[in-house]
Amino acid sequence: MRAFVAILRREFFSYFVSPLGYLVLTSFLLVSGWVFMVLVGALNSPETPRMALMSTFFTNVFQWIFLMLVSAIIAMRLLTEERKSGSIETLLTAPVSEATVVAAKFTGAWCFFLFLFVPTAIYPLLLSRFGGLDLGPVLSGYLGIALIGALFISAGTFASSLTKNQIVAAILAFVLILGTFIIGVARDFLPFPEARDALSYLNILEHMDDFARGIVDTRRILYVVSTVVFFLFLSTRALEANKGR
Amino acid sequence: MLEVQGLSKSFYGTPAVTDVSFRVESGEILGFLGPNGAGKTTTMRMITGFLAPTAGRVTLADVDVARKPLLAKRALGYLPETLALYPEMRVREYVAFRAQLCGVPGRDVKARVDEALGKCFVDDVASKPIGNLSKGYRQRVGLAGALVHKPKVLVLDEPTVGLDPQQIVKVRALIRDLRKDHTILLSTHILPEVELVCDRILIIDKGRIVASGTPETLRHQMSQTPSVTVALKGEVPEADLVFRQLPGVAAASRIGAGGETRVTLDGVPGADLRESIFKESVTRGWTLLELSPREASLEDVFVRLVSRDAAAEPGLEPGVDPDAPTPAAGTGVPS
Repeated sequence: MRAFVAILRREFFSYFVSPLGYLVLTSFLLVSGWVFMVLVGALNSPETPRMALMSTFFTNVFQWIFLMLVSAIIAMRLLTEERKSGSIETLLTAPVSEATVVAAKFTGAWCFFLFLFVPTAIYPLLLSRFGGLDLGPVLSGYLGIALIGALFISAGTFASSLTKNQIVAAILAFVLILGTFIIGVARDFLPFPEARDALSYLNILEHMDDFARGIVDTRRILYVVSTVVFFLFLSTRALEANKGR
Repeated sequence: MLEVQGLSKSFYGTPAVTDVSFRVESGEILGFLGPNGAGKTTTMRMITGFLAPTAGRVTLADVDVARKPLLAKRALGYLPETLALYPEMRVREYVAFRAQLCGVPGRDVKARVDEALGKCFVDDVASKPIGNLSKGYRQRVGLAGALVHKPKVLVLDEPTVGLDPQQIVKVRALIRDLRKDHTILLSTHILPEVELVCDRILIIDKGRIVASGTPETLRHQMSQTPSVTVALKGEVPEADLVFRQLPGVAAASRIGAGGETRVTLDGVPGADLRESIFKESVTRGWTLLELSPREASLEDVFVRLVSRDAAAEPGLEPGVDPDAPTPAAGTGVPS
């Protein structure tokens, strides 16, 4: 446990001593701020149908595509850097299991992902200052972001366990994340209703719609948690495989 | 303390280490000597559990590394060959991180870190980022990280590589000093280093142990042609002929110069010629000015061992460590 916390802390704070961390933070704020501004502007025009601004903020595809990229970039260095520099050797010869290393690194990166959203708390604050705000859907929206973020980061962790090259890891991570994202979108192109039903369970945008409307469905939580565990399990196996090489 | 039995490793069918067995007792420094690519690092990585062996067993402080890796690794401090620290971390942070990684309780971390920093003479840079340090400092920070949790066994892979002469002297003194509290396995390809630092030497070549023993016994054991230089007063033209008749002498050559006669004698393996030379000189009434054995240096031993095919040389069985008790006859660790 002590080792888990030590690795997590090191991982989380390492983002704040690298230019990459600040680049991600800044560009995310720019994009989300711009999305928020556009949404507020659209709501001001009389033709726009009535809608809850924050739920649109959570579910717009543009921001999600950017988040996929951000997740891939956050996760790309998790295990690649350790393996390339060789510091993985000190980590794995310490009394720490591979699973602990993977879980701690994933959690560190996920914490950084969550940290990105801390400044966005100002948007609902602003909205509540100038109009009514339903707090429940906002909170469940953040829960949805946290869960889907975990899914993305775990896919990125797995990608980073497969290679020593960060660029390769980032691209692989993006492809995996995009895969988890569009597998649900494919539903709309299938002729069989049963398959549509099945795929809609995997549709991340649909998950996010629910969360943003204030619906916390345990099935959706279960889907995310099991996928995260699956990806982390694969990462652990990949790390262990290097031993017998 | 540290026991290795029949350790082998192949990479994609190519053997890198073959049937290596040895023991390091507590309080001992074992030098692991071999040319580059002999399998030193691979062996050390298997000992530390970083690589899984193809065959064989490693026991660290009586715990099997393969069976109970987490427990075994608690007793291990490891300084890898490719020293990779986190350049963005400060020295103190890094050593504290290593302490936490090894499960040092939170309240003890600060004291342990201070102790380790002091031991390795890096307390003056404690608050500097590791990336700004010189190679010598980084090496010692790595060492501090390896011993911060007071492991029973220290495995050091080429600890003095890349240091300047002054730092080398310091690090060697440090390692000798660490023997009090730790069992140490140290690899190197620098010969004087093993002679200076280690109690016992293991020479590995092409993945096999080709020799083992204390520096002295190794030199002695390996000097296959013991050579003696004799100096006699005055011109003694028949000296070489006389000495050649002595038992155990294989060859003799004479140089007479400046009122004395120098004879160089080569003996058969294992013979000590000095006594018979002395007696012979006394009976003949020759004045003996000098009688000195010329021992093979460790360097001779090393070069001879690693440049030949291990199997071609009789008398030296690969994988057998004559000084240490063999695993079968071992008195200590029960299996």
